[in-house]
Amino acid sequence: MDQFVILCFAVVNSIALLALISLGLAVIFGMMRVINFAHGEFIMLGGYATVIANHAGVNLWLSMFVVSPMVVGLIGAVAERLIIRRLYGHLVTTMLATWGLSLFLIGAVTAIFGNTTLGVSAPLGNITIGAYSIGAYQLFLIAVTALLVVCSLLALHWTKYGLIARAAMQNAEMAATLGVDCDRVYATTFIIGAATSGLAGALLAPISGVLPHMGAAYVARAFVTVISGGGALITGFLSAATILGPVEALLSYFATPVVGQASLLLLAVIILRLFPTGVSSLWTGGR
Amino acid sequence: MNLSRRSFLRSSAAVSAASIAGSFASRAWAASDTVAIASLHDLSGPFDIYGAPSHLCMKIAVEEINAAGGLLGKKIDLKIYDAQSDINRYPQYAQKALLNDRCVMLQGAMTGAAREATRPIMRRYKVPFFYGSLYEGGLCEKNSFCVNTGGNQQVVPLLEWSFQNIGKKLYYIASDYNAPRNFGIWNHVVAKREGGEVLAEDYYPLDVTDFTAAIAKIQAAKPDIVHSCLVGGPAMAFYRQWAAAGMLKKIPIISIVFGAGNEHEVLAPEESDGVVVAYNYFQELDTPKNQEFLAKLDASVGKARPYINGDAFGGYSGVMLWAEAVKRAGSFEREAVTAAFESGIRWEGPAGVMTTDGPTHNTTQDVHIITVKNRVWSLIQKKGQIPPDTYGGRCNVFTNPNQTDFLMP
Repeated sequence: MDQFVILCFAVVNSIALLALISLGLAVIFGMMRVINFAHGEFIMLGGYATVIANHAGVNLWLSMFVVSPMVVGLIGAVAERLIIRRLYGHLVTTMLATWGLSLFLIGAVTAIFGNTTLGVSAPLGNITIGAYSIGAYQLFLIAVTALLVVCSLLALHWTKYGLIARAAMQNAEMAATLGVDCDRVYATTFIIGAATSGLAGALLAPISGVLPHMGAAYVARAFVTVISGGGALITGFLSAATILGPVEALLSYFATPVVGQASLLLLAVIILRLFPTGVSSLWTGGR
Repeated sequence: MNLSRRSFLRSSAAVSAASIAGSFASRAWAASDTVAIASLHDLSGPFDIYGAPSHLCMKIAVEEINAAGGLLGKKIDLKIYDAQSDINRYPQYAQKALLNDRCVMLQGAMTGAAREATRPIMRRYKVPFFYGSLYEGGLCEKNSFCVNTGGNQQVVPLLEWSFQNIGKKLYYIASDYNAPRNFGIWNHVVAKREGGEVLAEDYYPLDVTDFTAAIAKIQAAKPDIVHSCLVGGPAMAFYRQWAAAGMLKKIPIISIVFGAGNEHEVLAPEESDGVVVAYNYFQELDTPKNQEFLAKLDASVGKARPYINGDAFGGYSGVMLWAEAVKRAGSFEREAVTAAFESGIRWEGPAGVMTTDGPTHNTTQDVHIITVKNRVWSLIQKKGQIPPDTYGGRCNVFTNPNQTDFLMP
């Protein structure tokens, strides 16, 4: 029984982690079609912001939920203004530009903070389930991810800004004709995406630590999740995470971690072979 | 004497060309008042946590030798190459060091992959390769000189101590590449000898940061000891999640690499207290020679330097042992230095007495089993003067001078 509970926990945890690292990318890539190779570095910067703020005496929760999204949102604003704005619609060029941005951010962080930075340890203690024990912080992480996903869904579908943003993404010309300032909508959306990635990094910092090159561990998985998810913004990547996460967690547990990782990629390939525009084409009709 | 003018010119030209070429190839130092040696480390990128402190140790050794008047009347010129955590740079910079900069010795290439990329270049250009990193043992090559611990000098004492003092059931969790897999073989060797049991071994890719499933698996197996050979920054997440799950106080972690990436400084005390490791050297070692060494380090690079761990220390002992061999040989030539190294160089340094072992080209040394509390290591047990493994006589450069392959226990 307790083994079953612990396995469920591992599975849900795996889904939540995929969803958490993909949310910001879903906004930037899913909505705006900007292939943001610096996504991993936004996560990294979020982690650094939390760790540094916390070491400077700021409360841990405040550092996570306020400082990190603000700092990374600000960096995202600058990047949008200087680089991304000039390249909307140029898929390959944005790819190169954001890759350059990614290298720059890694270099800058290494130059400023060096290659080893003290972390913050996970708060909240642990919970015992039979013969097993798990970190309470990881449960908290799952809850926050769920909350973030629900909030994003609500924001996109029930707020005026969500409506305008979706309109600007679907048909910029028509939206502009109706008086929407598309440039501003793009900029805001990019900043929100960056801030969300920053928050993800902040939330991950206590359990994964911070390193200048840590983004590499996340960026590929985030892209795999978002692309497998397809057109429907939030439900898309969420369903992809729900398919990919359990497979990886269960195979890592019953077989080896390598098999788990490989099967995640293999499954993504199969999904894209069956649904070239992502799993969400099942209910959006391939839009 | 029947010697035509033409043939005389031809042969004398050949002789002088050969002698010029010869002097450029291996005796560039003969006329100069300096001699170059190479430090080839990752000084940037993810692996600089290993490379930078080891390079620092080489630098201190060279400064010490030069301050004492140099070697054979020449100052040592330390040439520095940053491999940037990119395996392709190793053969490239090794060639540059040997062909362009005429280095008479090269040290570094710490990871197993970097070492394997560098060794063949060193062989081809006939320059001694000093290997300062701890490793799994079994490198018994005429042109390579291993000054840090091999598997039998590090894993074996650590596992013996653990089986005797903690428990018999061991769970091995490691990074997925050659060295941790080879170390994994030692688990079985020692378990068989000591009556222990290896419950399972799990190998994780280097970029994994989520160890939830791993921790659940370990909890299900209920081991007495977790042996971790997780390497690199991302894998430090394991220790964080292990501690967050409250496991650090329940099942002890032992390791032969924990601390080599200065994990004990990066992690919080509540994530690392109680981890047990084995190294030839650790910075808290209480010997007069070590105090001298640390004073030199502080004077040279300041107090804000990295912690010097047992892996990095090879950068210092390697250069010092090479220098002792050069002194005994009275030459920088490969053959003379090799013969001197093989004759058994005894050197007393910060980590105690180290003696080079002729047939294995490895080094006899002390090993310290230590544990960490509040980011400070303290001694549990000292295992004195452990000789390198002979691999049942297979590890012998005298009987197998052309041996280049790795040996397995």
